[in-house]
Order: sequence, then structure tokens, then C-alpha cells
Amino acid sequence: MSALASRERGTPVQRHCIDADPESVERGLVSLVLTIVELLRQLMERQALRRVDDGTLTDDQIEKIGWTLMSLEEKMAELRDHFGLEPEDLNLDLGPLGPLLPYE
Amino acid sequence: MSSRHEEEPALVPTAVTSPRQSHQPAIHTERIALVDLLDRVLAGGVVVSGEVTLAIADVDMVRVSLRALVTSASALIRAGDDEEGPGR
Amino acid sequence: MEPNGTWVYAITERVDLTPLAQIRGVGGRPVRTVAAAGLTAVAEDVDLAEFGEEALRRNLEDLDWLETTARAHHRVIDAVAQQGPPVPMRLATVYSGDARIAAMLTQREADFRSALRRISGRMEWGVKAYADRQPEASDDSAVTAGASRPGGGAGAAYLQRRRNQLTAQKNARRDTLASAEMIHAELARYAAETRVHTPQAPQLTGIKAPMILNAAYLLDGTRGEDFAAAVAALADQHPGLRLELTGPWPPYSFAGTGEEGGLT
Repeated sequence: MSALASRERGTPVQRHCIDADPESVERGLVSLVLTIVELLRQLMERQALRRVDDGTLTDDQIEKIGWTLMSLEEKMAELRDHFGLEPEDLNLDLGPLGPLLPYE
Repeated sequence: MSSRHEEEPALVPTAVTSPRQSHQPAIHTERIALVDLLDRVLAGGVVVSGEVTLAIADVDMVRVSLRALVTSASALIRAGDDEEGPGR
Repeated sequence: MEPNGTWVYAITERVDLTPLAQIRGVGGRPVRTVAAAGLTAVAEDVDLAEFGEEALRRNLEDLDWLETTARAHHRVIDAVAQQGPPVPMRLATVYSGDARIAAMLTQREADFRSALRRISGRMEWGVKAYADRQPEASDDSAVTAGASRPGGGAGAAYLQRRRNQLTAQKNARRDTLASAEMIHAELARYAAETRVHTPQAPQLTGIKAPMILNAAYLLDGTRGEDFAAAVAALADQHPGLRLELTGPWPPYSFAGTGEEGGLT
């Protein structure tokens, strides 16, 4: 007998719900937000390195930008720790496009 | 049939069982990893201009498995909306 | 509950249903056959209330239903494969009656015969390769904690460090991709045909290490052991990678009859 035979005909099949308790909902949203922030941080970092390579920044600017990015990375680490997230948790799978952030 | 289920931080190659002899009953199917199985039955196999499934055949079946398996933020947001209606 | 649809599992030339009598399929009814054009469709009567188009759209997104159905679909196909590899149908190929199935068999006879010839006596083996994550000094930022404001050179030093890390990562990625290509080329020598699939995301596999190879190999029935030995040997040669071998599978990845251009 089919495992589904006990379901009444016509009863909509329950959508499989990932754990929907408020805590995990919040965690899911937090990891989504932090993923976006992490994306921006990595983009800014690469942009900064390109400008350093181009030679379009003064030493003072390099120092300031580097310091800002470093502080940002520290802040991200704090936020991850606070929410119990690993770096790998901050990523999105875009299907055929692969992952949003590169694996490190 | 052999397949790994859980990740273990191993640097050694996965042991493989010797190929199953023909005429042996398929007794190990329940131990096949779901991800391997879905990959094959959803994205493999022949697609024929079916009849009942004509429309579904055009759907990217791999996306179906992704939706079902991957924790998606939108599902969590919907779930958090206290308005979990039956199906769509 | 009158069944009003027919689920099709696979196409073959002929099949002995006796060993399949104990196999439970997707709907719990007996596995049966539909014959036409010298071919046999392995099938089962199902209710369109559960397996019709609307119901399928819902059910396919229910993981429990999907898993149960996928395993049952495979169970039947695998049992048929014991008598010789069939052409597997993709999950959820449903018809409203035998006449339609017979018509389909007649219409696609040449394609199915061609596919059956290609897979005759052969089964599919799958190989996945993962790049084991390199232990990285990703917490370098902690080294400079305490610098309260820019000016001490810490910022510039940070950028330099990040540049070095990004370069190292890029090189590592290039190396692992080269390894994946090499491994595939080596394994392909054993196979009549190969298919390279998209690597799967960690969220899908539950494995954190990135997947760098996801390929299927169509092997003659006698080559399975040699192939397994080759995979083991390659794993030894690449200590930084993890290789997974699964099989033998019915030839899901090689069922393409050419009409849809084959699989990725």
C-alpha cells in the first residue's frame, strides 16, 4: 500500500516546512542580511586593491581604507560569533550560477 | 551500491564496494543518499513529450530539488508570517 | 479509488515481471507493462489525484513525498536493470492510458532502440570530487586588534595581507580545477560515454568542502572493478581532494535519445 494511501483524496499535501520556530526564522534572516553585507565587504575590498594597484591612492588614503576594511572584517566576525554563524553559513546558492560568494 | 551520507573530515579515499553482480536483488536502495538519487531521477532519465506531464517536463527539475532541499530565506520569511496557507 | 493514470518507469525490450512482484512502486499497485513496436514500457496504474499535473506541482515540493516517490521510482528501475539496463524515464512521466503509451513507443521507437543499443550491457557510475578546505589563517584580523585608529600602517598591512590571501585562493582554485580536469580525463578512458554535471552546492550536499567534479561514466559491465581501483588510485595521488564513487546505477544520465540534445 502506498505510504500516502492514508491521506484523504483531495487533501492538499502539507508543504514541507523547514523549522519555523521564531528563533530559526530570525537566524535565517540574519544570515541573509549578513551574507549581503559580506558580499559588499568583499566587493569593496577587491575594489580597494584594484585602486591600490592602479596607483591612484595616496599612502594616507591606503592606510585609511585598509583600516576601515579591517575594522569592518572584525565587526563581521563579531556579528557572526554573536549569532553562532560560521563563515560558510554566509552564502547563497544561485542554482546554475553557482554560489554567490566564492568558497575560501 | 555504496555512497557516503555524512561528511567526515577524511583525506582518505572513500572505500568502494565491488560492483554488484547481476541478478542480485536491489536490496540497498534505501541507503542511497537522497541528493544522489534526486539528481538522477529529476535531472536524468528520458524526457518525453508526455501527456499529463507535458507542462512539468518543461520545468527545470533540478530547481525543484533545490527548492525542496535548500533552506530558503523566503520560506522562512513566509513561515514567520503566521500565514502558512495550504500549498500555493 | 479508481486509477485513472499510468506512471511510466522505463523502456526496455522485454522484461520478466516475476522478480518485480515484491517491489513496491510509487503508488503501491502492481508493476505491469505496456507493449508496442517491439518495446516494453514498465508502468503502474496511479491516481491522477496524487500524480496528475496539478497534484504533482504541489507534491514535488514536499520533500517527504518527493523522497518516497523518488526512491520507489528508482527501486523499480533498478529491479528492471537486473535483467539488462532499461532506458529510465524521468520522474513523473504520467499518461492517461495505455493507448497513449503505445503511441509514444511507436512514435519514438527508433530513439529508444538507439538508446538501448548504446547502454546495452552497461551501467552508470558516479564520481564526485571535493577540494578539502585548506587550513587558512582567516582570523588574521585578530592579529592587529588594538589599533584604535589609522596611521600606524596597520591598514596598509591589512590590505597587503588580503591581497596575498586572495592571490593564494585564486591559485588554489586554479590548481584544484586542473586536478578535476585531469581526474575526469583519466577516468573517461574507462568509459564508453561520460557526462559532466554541475557541481552541487554545500547546502545541497551538507558537505562544506566545495565540489569540483560531478561526473557520470557509462561503463561496460565488466569494468566496474577496474574503475573503482582507478578512483582509489587517483585519490591517493591527490591527497588534497576527496573522491566519492557511487554505482552501479541504471543509466539515468545516458538515457537521452538525442531529441532534447542530451544532458549537460
